[in-house]
Amino acid sequence: MKRLKDILSRVLEIDAQSITDETSPDSVSTWDSFNSLLLVCELENAFKVKFTMEEVTKVKCVRDIKETLGRHGVQLKEDKYA
Amino acid sequence: MQQIKALIATSKPKSAADYIMLARHIGGEVRQRPPESCATIRIALLSTFTITGIKEVLFTKCCAAGIMPDIYLCGYQQYAQEVLSPSSKLYLFNPDLVILFVDIQTLLGEQYLLPYTRSDAKRKRWVEEKFSEILSLVQAIKKHAKAAILLHNFNVPLHSPLGILENKQPFGLKESVESLNARIRGEFKKDPAVFVFDYDGFCSRVGKEGVTDYKMYYLADLKIDLQLLPMLSDAYLTYVKQIRAMVKKCLVLDLDNTLWGGILGEDGFEGIRLGPTLDGRPFMEFQKVILSLYHRGVILAINSKNNLDEVMRVFREHPYMLLKEKHFAAMRINWNDKVSNMESLAQELNIAMESFVFFDDDKINREIVKNVLPEVCVIDVPDDASLYIKTLLEFDGFNAMQLTNEDKQKGQMYVQQRKRLELKNCLNNIDEYLKRLETRIIVKKADAFTIPRIAQLTQKTNQFNMTTKRYLEDDIRRCLLDPRYIVLSAKVEDKFGDNGLNGTMIIEAARDVWIIDTFLLSCRVLGRGIEDALLACLLEQARKTGVKTVIGKFIPTEKNAPAKDFYKKSGFTLAKNENRTEHWERAASMPYQHPKHIALTYE
Repeated sequence: MKRLKDILSRVLEIDAQSITDETSPDSVSTWDSFNSLLLVCELENAFKVKFTMEEVTKVKCVRDIKETLGRHGVQLKEDKYA
Repeated sequence: MQQIKALIATSKPKSAADYIMLARHIGGEVRQRPPESCATIRIALLSTFTITGIKEVLFTKCCAAGIMPDIYLCGYQQYAQEVLSPSSKLYLFNPDLVILFVDIQTLLGEQYLLPYTRSDAKRKRWVEEKFSEILSLVQAIKKHAKAAILLHNFNVPLHSPLGILENKQPFGLKESVESLNARIRGEFKKDPAVFVFDYDGFCSRVGKEGVTDYKMYYLADLKIDLQLLPMLSDAYLTYVKQIRAMVKKCLVLDLDNTLWGGILGEDGFEGIRLGPTLDGRPFMEFQKVILSLYHRGVILAINSKNNLDEVMRVFREHPYMLLKEKHFAAMRINWNDKVSNMESLAQELNIAMESFVFFDDDKINREIVKNVLPEVCVIDVPDDASLYIKTLLEFDGFNAMQLTNEDKQKGQMYVQQRKRLELKNCLNNIDEYLKRLETRIIVKKADAFTIPRIAQLTQKTNQFNMTTKRYLEDDIRRCLLDPRYIVLSAKVEDKFGDNGLNGTMIIEAARDVWIIDTFLLSCRVLGRGIEDALLACLLEQARKTGVKTVIGKFIPTEKNAPAKDFYKKSGFTLAKNENRTEHWERAASMPYQHPKHIALTYE
């Protein structure tokens, strides 16, 4: 989870502490289409996965990212300090 | 700018996102506190699709090289209008470099996936059509902007619906794109303002299979994977650095485990690994690559901890030592530390630290040089000697926009320079030395043969350069067509040989007043009174044409201190100093002493 939050906070330039499962493009102004592309790149790099186009278009919030990563076999440890 | 450079260096960016984040960060800083005097460049990128992220990545890459860029991207699918309309935002932006990136998918349109709905004859015509479209775009840019143009060639597709029969077609899809590339390469070979960027080669290098991330292509029309943007920017930077004359001149080499395997002092003459053996070949071939750089004009030097006589024996007697004493402009083979050797090399060769590239297998030596002399470009040498040639072949710092005759003979000229120094050292009287040099100068109006070298001198000369105005070949050509300008070149010869074309004067000539726009002399021939002879010649010509006043301009830079008092010493008086430009005046009729030891002819 920490790595996911690190990437989200770095690309979206937001505080990692403020990220929840519900965080979404609607709640974060910097989550625009450009940064969405960057997120895809960074997540694919960091977790060594390749998303399908459908997976990318279906993501609506952080929870969806976690589920998608899970389907690719990425186990995210819940960060107890989050 | 140094702070920004340091910030990027410590952040160690890798992915495209790293570069983009840095660009946002630096961009914010720069808006608050613009950096003081540093190199800048205005880049316009025209592309057939929106290259998301390129602006940010290129920005950070330029900053990392010490150049503050201003980058303009043309609007989505607007490139043709922007290029063709003289009043477009593109031309208002006034770019130094225009990058034209037309991708093959756009160019082929329907034919990209359905190439064989057309006949071979039509494909042939297509090549001519597209070639003339590209040509007219380039011509329009040349007409409306005073910029260098970087023109992408086209990524030859890997796919073909005909599969293995593709190459049996009278004029197939791949052949048509290859012919277009060949047409473009041929067209601009002699055009000094246009550089064809081998995008097809770039794609091959990164792997054509991976150039497009199809998901990103459908989502965002990205025809090049975001992850490749740092490499693409690196490729662009090679040209940017050239335009800003940030060219490396000298390759400084270590000896043990660099030019040969093993340690000469321990393994001995017979023991070092060099030659057609399993462990000697990497070094033998590495020397070939170095020699090829020497032939294209890179100055070679040695900085090595070794016993001089042992090394000399290798130079003279080792059957596979391809590099000889005569290829090295200077050698530091001693037990001093690498840094002081580097400093004394810079002094002897009279070139700036930032012109040096250092190749040493020893990591500690590299770190010391990196830390103490941050201007020196230290190559990250791999531990495995079999990768040396790859490392050096991929290094792009020696690239030059033009390769003149002077360049190709540079190595030889530096050896002549060494002989001059030897003469100077054995004569203790400087006047006697200058007399014995028998210097001759030939001053000539610029012509087609000398234009490339004149442009190059304006690009590269930093020390004895009164105004440090950088010109492209096209600028010089324009001056020649304009009767208001006189462009002169000066060739210097002496008893040791031809120094080549080493001086340039550009004069804005009105009826009564001559303004010296550019007066420069390569550092190679400084300290011999040549500048005095050239000024004497200029003043005499001014007098002959009835000019009353000659005005010399001086613009101080960090590097041109040697030129600072030149006009003052030559009897000019300071008339005004505005916008950091000093205007020095002198009556043309006032006599001026031509240095006695120099013979000058004006053709």
